[in-house]
Amino acid sequence: MSVLITPPVPTATPVDPAPPSKSRRFRHIAWYVLALWLLSGIYIVPTDQQGLVTQWGRVVEPRVFPGIHYALPWPIDKVYKLKVRELRRRVVGGEIPDTVLGRQASSSEFFSGDQNLLKIRVVAQYSVSNPRDFLFAAQSPDQIVGLAVESELVRRAAHTRVDDILTTQKLAIQDDVLRSAQTVVDSYRAGALLASINIESVSPPPETAEAFRSVAGARSDAFRIVNEADGYANDLVPRARGQADQLLDQAHSYANGKISRAEGDASHFNAVAAEYRKSPQVTSTRVYLEVMELVLPKLKKLVVDANSNLDLSVIGKQDNSALPGTGSGTDGVPQR
Amino acid sequence: MTRRTILLIAAFISLVLASLSLYTVSETQFALITQFGRPVRTVTQAGLHAKWFFQSALRFDKRLRIYNPAPSEFLTRDKKNLVIENYVAWRIEDPSRFVQSVGDVPSAEMRLHDIIWSGLSAAFGNEDLDSLVSTDREKLQSTAILDAITAGSDRAALQQYGLSIEDVRIKRLNLPEQNKQNVFARMRAERGRIAMQYRAEGEEQALAIRANADRQKEEILSTAYKEAETIRGKGDAEATRIYGDAYSKNPQFYKLTRTLESYKKILDDKTTIILSSDSDLLKILTKGQGAAK
Repeated sequence: MSVLITPPVPTATPVDPAPPSKSRRFRHIAWYVLALWLLSGIYIVPTDQQGLVTQWGRVVEPRVFPGIHYALPWPIDKVYKLKVRELRRRVVGGEIPDTVLGRQASSSEFFSGDQNLLKIRVVAQYSVSNPRDFLFAAQSPDQIVGLAVESELVRRAAHTRVDDILTTQKLAIQDDVLRSAQTVVDSYRAGALLASINIESVSPPPETAEAFRSVAGARSDAFRIVNEADGYANDLVPRARGQADQLLDQAHSYANGKISRAEGDASHFNAVAAEYRKSPQVTSTRVYLEVMELVLPKLKKLVVDANSNLDLSVIGKQDNSALPGTGSGTDGVPQR
Repeated sequence: MTRRTILLIAAFISLVLASLSLYTVSETQFALITQFGRPVRTVTQAGLHAKWFFQSALRFDKRLRIYNPAPSEFLTRDKKNLVIENYVAWRIEDPSRFVQSVGDVPSAEMRLHDIIWSGLSAAFGNEDLDSLVSTDREKLQSTAILDAITAGSDRAALQQYGLSIEDVRIKRLNLPEQNKQNVFARMRAERGRIAMQYRAEGEEQALAIRANADRQKEEILSTAYKEAETIRGKGDAEATRIYGDAYSKNPQFYKLTRTLESYKKILDDKTTIILSSDSDLLKILTKGQGAAK
């Protein structure tokens, strides 16, 4: 409307000398106001933001980058500014704890593929990818991001085993949900780009927590049992190896001893035999007598005449070493 | 003065007319132009538009909306109760039909609820729980069910109410409170079984490790015994050969010395020996010097 109040072109300036000061002042003020109005179209987009300009409600500049710009003043143009880089946070499945408000952390229950219930809380982070869609396509893009993530999480959990959700599949679930939730967000043209999905907490319901803990206990028990067995094996096998070495060492020393002794005996015999060969008769008599001297003193001896018949009953009587006169072997030669 | 007044009046009238016939439509809106209450056209393009001053423009929010009512209970074909929270993404598509048949957003949501939730309970009633929750991905039907419902209800909603249903999805899948206890009991039993399995598997592995160690020990020791006996045997054989080599050079002397040597061991103080006075040893004693020859 203000367009129409543009001041009349200065046609009447030179005429009408009577109220010159009043109408001139009016005109001055009008020009001044017009200039100010036109200047009000200058605007600045800060570094971390992007702008969008609508004219009479229609988007004419979908993306204005940081810097100084001009748009037609109110009410023709309207400038929107958005922090496009800023990561916005959305908690899905419960609330995060807030000490200021005294809120307890809570998480919602999800159904796993093997029909267990699990409490999961997820934090999604997203940024504005398309300012136009983010501003105009949906009533609440923030809610849409939350719903997309939550429904995809329900779908993903519904075909995953509870143990996988709790342990190995966590990262895979985050990746899958990020990807599929982005597809959903795109199909709603919400203009948001998911940056990350983070499973902040996942736990069995309190009613079953004890049972889950006992599984963890059993797992560590099993681990311990296996470790103990490993310890047993690690002790037993090297010890056996040591024993084996010992056996071999003993065998070697036995064999070597045997051979050395044989060699010793052999060289002894050879030496003596060489001497024997020089005078066999004398040597054999000498050796024989030497041995007899050594052996005979200890024995009980009976000397009989070469031609007499031997009465063997004598032996029976002599057999008892306790008989008088036969106590010492050297003296027990009755018929000398 | 009079001319100036006339000019001013003319300007005022044209201003009023312009304000009555020009209107803006924003990016988030539809405008429905009505003439004495009768819709004549829909403006979907944002910007500055003109109409007759006797027509009026009704504006509707065309953005995507979310209808997210409280969870409802469904019964599956295998008679399992489920509490499912659904949400609907929808928008006003045909403002003229919308204003004639529905009018405002709360009643639109009621109509949506009627169309969609009857479809949902029919669809879920036709499926087993397995087709909603299963580790076997092939069995899962939830996406197909929801897509079918979205397509079907979208057609009906557009024809009857001028609404477009973009998407129907499951936001939460749960059990009624009274059924949860059963599931918790089953979960506990399952955990117990798994705990037992872990322990048994641990024992199994430990036994295998111990048995393997015992076997290795046995192997090592018996191999060592075999080698040791071989070594001993070779030693004995070598010694025998050495003896044999040496003694076979002079068997007569060997026989003499070895026999005499064994006398030392065989004959001890318990032995009684009967010597003939005729023997070599005593011959000189009994027969005198001459016998030595």
